[in-house]
Amino acid sequence: MFKLASCDGCQLTLLDCEDELLAVADAVDIVHFPEASSRLAPDGPFDVVLVEGSVTTPDQLVELRHIRAQTRALVTIGACATAGGIQALRNFADHEAFIRAVYARPEYIQTLATSTPVAAHVPVEYELRGCPIDKRQLLEVISALLVGRTPTIADESVCMECKRRGAVCVVVTSDQACLGPVTHAGCGALCPAYARGCYGCFGPRERPNTAALADALARRGMDRGGLVRTFRLFTGGAPAFRKESERHE
Amino acid sequence: MREVLATADLEQLIALVRADGYRLIGPTVQDGAIVYDELTAARDLPIGWTDEQAPGRYRLRRRDDQAAFGYNVGPHSWKRHLYPPRETLVQLRRGGAGPRWEGARAEGPPLAFLGVRACELAAIAVQDKALIGGPFVDVRYQARRERCLIIAVQCTEAGALCFCDSMSAGPRVSGDADIVATELDGALALEARSERGAAIVERLPTRRGDAELDAAIDGALERCARSMGRTLAAADLPARLWSNLDHPRLAEVAERCLACGNCTLVCPTCFCADIKDTSDLTGDAAGRERVWDSCFTAGHSKIHGADIRPDTRGRYQQWISHKLSTWVAQFGSSGCVGCGRCIAWCPVGIDLTEEATILAAGDGELRALPAPRERPRGEGDGQVPTPVTVLEVTRETHDVVTLTLARPPGYTHGHGQFNMLSLPGVGDVPISISGSDAQTLEHTVRAVGAATTAITALAPGAQLGLRGPYGSSWPLDAAIGRPVVVIVGGLGLAPLRSALRELLARADEFGPLRLLYGARSPDDIVFDRELLGWIQSGRMRTHVTVDHGSRTWTGNIGVVTKLIRRKSMPRDAVYLLCGPEVMMRFALAQLEHLEVPAAQVYLSMERNMKCAVGLCGRCQYGPHFVCKDGPVFRYDQIADIFGRPGF
Repeated sequence: MFKLASCDGCQLTLLDCEDELLAVADAVDIVHFPEASSRLAPDGPFDVVLVEGSVTTPDQLVELRHIRAQTRALVTIGACATAGGIQALRNFADHEAFIRAVYARPEYIQTLATSTPVAAHVPVEYELRGCPIDKRQLLEVISALLVGRTPTIADESVCMECKRRGAVCVVVTSDQACLGPVTHAGCGALCPAYARGCYGCFGPRERPNTAALADALARRGMDRGGLVRTFRLFTGGAPAFRKESERHE
Repeated sequence: MREVLATADLEQLIALVRADGYRLIGPTVQDGAIVYDELTAARDLPIGWTDEQAPGRYRLRRRDDQAAFGYNVGPHSWKRHLYPPRETLVQLRRGGAGPRWEGARAEGPPLAFLGVRACELAAIAVQDKALIGGPFVDVRYQARRERCLIIAVQCTEAGALCFCDSMSAGPRVSGDADIVATELDGALALEARSERGAAIVERLPTRRGDAELDAAIDGALERCARSMGRTLAAADLPARLWSNLDHPRLAEVAERCLACGNCTLVCPTCFCADIKDTSDLTGDAAGRERVWDSCFTAGHSKIHGADIRPDTRGRYQQWISHKLSTWVAQFGSSGCVGCGRCIAWCPVGIDLTEEATILAAGDGELRALPAPRERPRGEGDGQVPTPVTVLEVTRETHDVVTLTLARPPGYTHGHGQFNMLSLPGVGDVPISISGSDAQTLEHTVRAVGAATTAITALAPGAQLGLRGPYGSSWPLDAAIGRPVVVIVGGLGLAPLRSALRELLARADEFGPLRLLYGARSPDDIVFDRELLGWIQSGRMRTHVTVDHGSRTWTGNIGVVTKLIRRKSMPRDAVYLLCGPEVMMRFALAQLEHLEVPAAQVYLSMERNMKCAVGLCGRCQYGPHFVCKDGPVFRYDQIADIFGRPGF
């Protein structure tokens, strides 16, 4: 388990697998897991590496290439690693201005102008989306890699999970803004099941029709600023959502 | 004569059904909608509630009376309970002599449904045809369905999106319910339609109805039918729609459609499913599960190496043409019952009745749909593998091996049929039978995905799961007395190998035999020794070509269709084609040019087969299922969809 620019929440998802954690530890040798242990072994080779976080500094880029070179299956986990994360909001602004505003001595800060996903720099075997990732998907990837199966990570809409779960659509019953129809499944339709719209933390699904969804949101009363903010949140750096948000600027 | 139960006495009906051991499901108010959930008491019912519906819009409103069934339909349908969103099909048991697969059973007490509408009963009948009306059945659905007690409640008020009247699915209940109820003026008029139903009604505190009540019910149903907000009554709709798939409206609706899949999952008849292999962290527990899928997902439209419906236009075409047209050819009735759910629960409010009416009014030349096939009704599950042992592994090329398996006792198959081969927790893949004798079965497999890679890596002595045989065979008897020309590309030789052996063994029954075989390169030629034998025997004129030659290759170079131009192709021959679809397309064009009748050409189609027994809907090919109607089709049966985008 490695981390780049991130909050460690996705690493915590593995620790949150309370019932399965012993079985995971039995099935694999966990050799490097900064969130769980201070005994580190950052040099491979590794069968599987989970990478959390986005690339925001030149050092991270070097580290990432080092990891990739010694890894058989690289799995990126979370909105940061797969779409640039919330910190990709910098991609829409002037990061130099941010550095000057935040740090007393900006000259000590070495950072990139953008926050980018891991797959923008090195090849990736599997991506787990979400802020944070879903524990069942994480266990599916580990179980599948152990037995030699292609993991089931459906690129369908959140609506599919919402309907399977039997949740009632919040768009149809209460005109809520919901990104479910254009968002990658995997969370089990967590937010809609608690009667609030999906905010797209799993990023765009396969072939997202963001334009039609934006039209529908506008018909239900959302203004342009609302549309920009709706598509520009945890996964606003993902190309489909970025383009849709820019269309309404 | 009907029996009348005061709405206030519904409590007794609920208590009675539950005391009989049923798990009672009925309408409840949850999260701003009427959804079907377990009922424990009359207070769970939506008493005094109704729904207001419009495209993409659903609202609950208070009624000014205390009707318990004064609404139409919500986002749930009964398929949630008869055909759950996720269900285990097969479980693996390890130990002893190796893996053993066991079919999963339906668990739990029998179900009772209260408040089934006429359209919903019609929808259950539609799902019955798909899931228990064919040669293989969903045994878990069947178990729940046969034990299920159904108390239908007829609608006396239509919703704005209802059109069951124009689909002949309501509002009057004509399907087989145990009790049919009608709610009028604070009472339920009950009519027992089965012994089970009668046994319940006779225990309720009812009074006898009269002819006046019957007339009032007839009048209410009549008014309800007349007040429906929508119709879908275009004359000859299935064929008209089928004839207008080039209509520009499909591209327009694809602009608005989110391809989210909501319409298909709220539809009470949609049954398409994905089937996934599962395993736990230890690898000891493995199985296979069925999950609701939709023709709007990418997974549903993928076959290996291709996406047959890459855009929303193709996916919407699949949805609307299956629901309203090809369903009739597959199952003998429409897939739509007029409930209006797909209109209400579409987040952008696309209206099926509007789209279908516009498409059907197009000026496409009328194309008839095939008549529904008569199929024997079977009883078997068909999805439980039998363990078989690998006897021999023959490497054909760098990525292709032939596995010789021990033939299960009593196993018979036709030439061109396929088996599903499975490795626990890894996958279950369709592989054609490439040869057999009394003791063995051969399968020739290319390593392309995780499952085929694992299967090609097996060693003699290993065990794997086998189920089958499935699908249609090469019609060798139709070729008796005629020349036979076999045109194959790549691994397409495998499904024809046993047919070729049979043709050679019975060569005197047929006219001259000819084989045209194209491989990518000399190194990709499979069955090379057997091919040499065929060439040397002189009993079948065998021509081999490769797309790319090598230093030592002195034979033909070029695609296999080039050979068709070079060799004389008899017009009266029977042609058997198997290979990549693009190769078959070019071959068919040349045969058409040579004026070979389409009814003399047979080809093997590949689509994504998951269940292989006609239940999961993945391998649909217009009006056909490749797993049970194919893979071998006579060309004239599929000529109107072969090569058409989206099929």
